[in-house]
Amino acid sequence: MRLIVGGRASGKLGRVQALGYGMCDIYDGAQGLADEAFARPVLYNLQELVRDVMQNGGDPSALLQRIVEGGTQVVVCDEVGAGIVPVDRFERDWREAVGRLCCALAREAQIVERVCCGIPTVIKSDEA
Amino acid sequence: MMVLFLGGSASGKSELAEDCAVALSAPSAFGSRRLYIATMQPFGEEARQRIERHRSLRAGKGFDSRDCYVDLSGTDTSGYDTVLLECMSNLTANEMYREGVGRPDWDGLADKICGDVSALREKVQNLVIVTNDVHSDGGGYDSETARYIGILGEINTRLAQQADAVVEAVCGIPVTHKGALPEGIGEGERKC
Repeated sequence: MRLIVGGRASGKLGRVQALGYGMCDIYDGAQGLADEAFARPVLYNLQELVRDVMQNGGDPSALLQRIVEGGTQVVVCDEVGAGIVPVDRFERDWREAVGRLCCALAREAQIVERVCCGIPTVIKSDEA
Repeated sequence: MMVLFLGGSASGKSELAEDCAVALSAPSAFGSRRLYIATMQPFGEEARQRIERHRSLRAGKGFDSRDCYVDLSGTDTSGYDTVLLECMSNLTANEMYREGVGRPDWDGLADKICGDVSALREKVQNLVIVTNDVHSDGGGYDSETARYIGILGEINTRLAQQADAVVEAVCGIPVTHKGALPEGIGEGERKC
């Protein structure tokens, strides 16, 4: 599995397309939790999937297992932790959950890329 | 050696910093020579839970622990070769809102805090510092919060100049911006 992170609108989707994936390969996390989320090669907007799970009272850390077992090839997530800790409890917990899930995904991933201005930098690679 | 770890919330920076401090401190037959300086004040249940989470992450890594909410230079570090200071974001907020300190004093606050860190640096062989990236979410803050971001940014920049290594935590992965970490840090299994 390849994890791609970066700020909002940093060019992550373009990176996914450069890897050869089309829009039909991508599940957008903004659509919310569904079996379909783990059935496509690319899971995009993971942070929105985390939000949906939390809004429905679910445990976002459980997404790790579903992603790994589902065989998702690419997971794409916004980096959301680099601001002032929000006053709103839900927003605070959401940022925390997104960050922890990304740490866990990064451990499972063979490749972790961080995209800046559309330029990917590999920050972890198990490939020789 | 002085190492600065930076990262957003839940980026895995604390654990990387702990492992770095462990790698830097000399093994000793006389017990722990690693001191953890905690800056978070236990206000409310959520803060207590965070402190507890950090305690369990540190467990078994051989740190003694001391609380320091303001005036870092007053902390007794005798007998320790390595200090892990966590974190600049709490320390800065504590100094800004301590009793008797008001807005006019904020002008000199980065100087004061950096001076305290330098004094601490003089006293120990290794200093590992954790700080927060609060600088990349687009703003829209009130003037007081903007001021806090500015002061912390200045502190981070100055500490980075002083540090031998500057490392950003991204999803628990160390991304080095300056210098190099001791061997083996961030390469093994990490729990976040």
